[in-house]
Amino acid sequence: MAAISPDSVQTSRSLLPSVEKREKLRKTRKFRDGLSLYGVGAGGLGVIFALALIFVYLFYETMPLLKPVSMEVSTTYAVPGEMPVTPTMHLTLDRFEEIGGRFSESGVITFFNARNGAILSRIELPIPEGERVTSFGRSESRKSLFVYGFSDGSVLPVKVDYEITFPDGVRRVTPRLSFPLGAEPTGIGGKEGAQYSALEIVDGRGGYVIAAGTVAGDIAMALYSTTTSMLTGTVEIRRQDFNLPNLGAPVSQLLVNESLRNLFAIDATGTLHHFDIVDRSRPVLVEKVALVPSGVEFRVAEFLVGSRSLIVGGSDGSLTQWILVRNDDTGQSNLTQIRAFKPHNAPITFIEPEHSRKGFIAGDASGTVGIHYATSSVSLKFLSVADTPINRLAISPINRVALVETVDAEALTVLAIDNPHPQTSLSGLWGKVWYEGRDAPAFIWQSSSADDAFESKLSLVPLSIGTLKAAFFAMLLATPLAIMGAIYTAYFMSTPMRKIVKPSIELMEALPTVILGFLAGIWLAPYIENNLPILVIGAVLIPAGVLVWGYLWSRMPANIRNSVSAGWEAAMLVPVIIVLGWVTVSMSPWVEFWFFDGSMRQWLTDVGIPYDQRNALIVGMAMGFAVIPTIFSIAEDAVFNVPKHLTQGSLALGATPWQTVIGVVLLTASPGIFSAVMIGFGRAVGETMIVLMASGNSPIVNFNIFEGMRTLAANIAVELPETAVGSTHFRVLFLSALVLLAFTFVLNTAAEVVRQRLRKRYASL
Amino acid sequence: MNQMANPETVKPVRSMNAGLFDGQEREFLAIEDEEIAITVESLDLYYGNSQALKKVNMLIPKKRVTAFIGPSGCGKSTLLRCFNRMNDLVDGCRVEGSINLHGENIFAKGVDVAELRRRIGMVFQKPNPFPKSIYENVAYGLRLQGVKDKAVLDEVVERSLKNVALWTEVKDRLDTNALGLSGGQQQRLVIARAIAIEPEVLLLDEPTSALDPISTSKIEELVEELKNQYTVIIVTHTMQQAARISDFTAYMYLGELIEFDDTKKLFVSPANQATEDYITGRYG
Repeated sequence: MAAISPDSVQTSRSLLPSVEKREKLRKTRKFRDGLSLYGVGAGGLGVIFALALIFVYLFYETMPLLKPVSMEVSTTYAVPGEMPVTPTMHLTLDRFEEIGGRFSESGVITFFNARNGAILSRIELPIPEGERVTSFGRSESRKSLFVYGFSDGSVLPVKVDYEITFPDGVRRVTPRLSFPLGAEPTGIGGKEGAQYSALEIVDGRGGYVIAAGTVAGDIAMALYSTTTSMLTGTVEIRRQDFNLPNLGAPVSQLLVNESLRNLFAIDATGTLHHFDIVDRSRPVLVEKVALVPSGVEFRVAEFLVGSRSLIVGGSDGSLTQWILVRNDDTGQSNLTQIRAFKPHNAPITFIEPEHSRKGFIAGDASGTVGIHYATSSVSLKFLSVADTPINRLAISPINRVALVETVDAEALTVLAIDNPHPQTSLSGLWGKVWYEGRDAPAFIWQSSSADDAFESKLSLVPLSIGTLKAAFFAMLLATPLAIMGAIYTAYFMSTPMRKIVKPSIELMEALPTVILGFLAGIWLAPYIENNLPILVIGAVLIPAGVLVWGYLWSRMPANIRNSVSAGWEAAMLVPVIIVLGWVTVSMSPWVEFWFFDGSMRQWLTDVGIPYDQRNALIVGMAMGFAVIPTIFSIAEDAVFNVPKHLTQGSLALGATPWQTVIGVVLLTASPGIFSAVMIGFGRAVGETMIVLMASGNSPIVNFNIFEGMRTLAANIAVELPETAVGSTHFRVLFLSALVLLAFTFVLNTAAEVVRQRLRKRYASL
Repeated sequence: MNQMANPETVKPVRSMNAGLFDGQEREFLAIEDEEIAITVESLDLYYGNSQALKKVNMLIPKKRVTAFIGPSGCGKSTLLRCFNRMNDLVDGCRVEGSINLHGENIFAKGVDVAELRRRIGMVFQKPNPFPKSIYENVAYGLRLQGVKDKAVLDEVVERSLKNVALWTEVKDRLDTNALGLSGGQQQRLVIARAIAIEPEVLLLDEPTSALDPISTSKIEELVEELKNQYTVIIVTHTMQQAARISDFTAYMYLGELIEFDDTKKLFVSPANQATEDYITGRYG
């Protein structure tokens, strides 16, 4: 062996960095590894945390809807008023819940501090000499309008207003009493000197109406119209008297609705006489309705706010709601019971409607107060306040404080109520509800209107159906096109053409949906409406034309066919489809002329198919266009990634390419295709701008392709900016956001679970 | 070689034999035409611009096992895939020359490739059962041929699985997914699937390279059985396997057929120095 040369010594010397340097490098490497590990981990957790926060926030805003109603006694104090105390005719509360008012039989109105009963002011009404109060009537609570009836047959309407001043920067509420028809009692026609057993006052369209009924069954009615002179400012009052037919039984209650169209006279037997008073000089008895079943005595009836529905209390503790339902056959409106509330255990003694929504509180003979809500048909809370019957109730305009007076009691009880969202019961949100003014229960979303006494209709069914409808029609268009396109692109198309086609379709996804929605709503919708035959011709001509072309192509001489390299045959279809499209468009007017009497739009209406310009078809086309890239991209990957050894295995068994697609490729790619469809569906469910602009936004419940819809997402976009923060409507919108999230969450989770299962099954491929 | 250049004067097989073995007298030469399943004549194959097979001439005897051996990239799998035209699926693949299956050129115009592949079954290196039940895997080929009769399918499935000695192992779970079988079972299932459609030739492309020794020996036993009914061509990278199970062996190198002979002769006294280097381990 030769001696080791210096050269070989040099080459065997280690060229690695020194031990210290390597040690240092190890440390920095470790640090970097740790940094990236925790950095990526923190990022991932942050995403999950942010998602969780969205959920938490939505829940947080929705939770108050589920909060149970509370009602408890906050204080009691001696009945404020004159000495000696005479029976209470009525109780009121102002909207700051500071001032109570008590109308006594002696004609004294006492205003007191609602928290402690301290008397603030006392007003004595000018009762005619030697007469006394015999009856009392009131308008809807929110109008603060009352009427006293005296033993000489005269009446005196009074109105309470609350004047708000800010002396020294502190709010001070001062109750004021006014006399809209003058401070002197006035007669109302009828029989002179009649003593009224029932009195009603309404501040309706056209003036004040006072109706009065007697024990003898007579009813007198007077309309007071006021005109204010522009020059002098003096108020001139004109009175017209009307008489109604005798009921034949003592009148126990009179109710006139705000529109001054109907008068309900309830006699002592519990029969309601429904008069049509549109023509006041000739009142028409429309019907007689038994408000309570036989064996039960009628006790009390009150209008809910807006005076469209009547709540009737019976001696069995029953509470029922009645509205006028129009009968299409007779053209008349009949009073119909639409729901019953959970009954009290004792006869109802008093009903007090809430001021701004369709709820009421009722008192019974056992001293129990109950809170009920009409729209959601729920009885929210019962509280036993005393052992004696409830005499009078008052609720504040913001529904948080109630005053309770029991018969023979010397004290008033103040109730604290927390009942912000009575309307959102499960049945109210998801069931059919019989709303005021409707002739049948229905799913309706109509959250607001210009009217204060409007009954908001918050059914989530039209929105959910609308969401599914829009997604369904979008998927109907997108799924077959996207999946078949994906199979062709991944399996049959030549590689160079695939490299052009796939990115082009994926680029479609980048198109802002607002532009799609805009085009669909502004251009496509009117164009389709005016050229409806295009749909019919296109649906027949284009697929048929493509098939015919395919057949002709297969019959062409080989040298022509071979001039197109394999996998490029699809490109040959482009001019074919353009020509077919042109033929379709130019045939449209002729088809319309020959088959649809010149207008297919009109023809559809004539055969009974409603047609909206912006409809599910337009949404389906626009949103289908938006969803195609999503489905296509994932499905194409799934088909393309089917292992080659499987397709080759199939081909080696003598399968044609088409048999291989059906037998092996689709089967193996099915998890991917399934999740593609699901993700596409999730996207369609959550899509906002296209449906907002192209759907017409009418919250209807049907699957007619020629009518529109309103989706959860579009509804949130439209209404959330305009709703009052913290209101029931606001919270229901958050609930609908949760429903939307649940839709997409369930869809995507189901897709993922199915995909994982299938993937596990095919894991060994 | 002169005879090769003038094929009209001599029967093709004779001329090929002469060309292959440089006119040396061998027992193999006595092979009769009716015992030949496939003849390969002057086959060139190009992937784009590179040539993968160079003027291959050979014949495959009927109902015998023929093994292709050679180092990686020598073209043995490529040649195998020519027999059922699987190379058609490769972009830029071009073939010149001819392969005759029982006298018909498989590259001729009008040949139904799907029917050709039914006649020449193939088993791949990696077991590739479809993600279907065991039953449906075996029945797949028959369904492709339009067989719908359940009784026929049942019979074929049972017979095919019995032929690959898998029936007793799977008869109680024919409806379970084939992917639940072990690798060796999967490979036998795939062979059952291939023979269910009664092919004439069975191509096995390194069928045991992904299997453990026990499964390998089972497959090898199976191949012994199969040659009673089918012409078997097997590509293998282990010379021992070729020596164990084949009747004839072809040694290929760099796209050329170097030597083709009776297996015993080729391994005991190879005619070519390159063959000897390879089988004695001086190469590869």
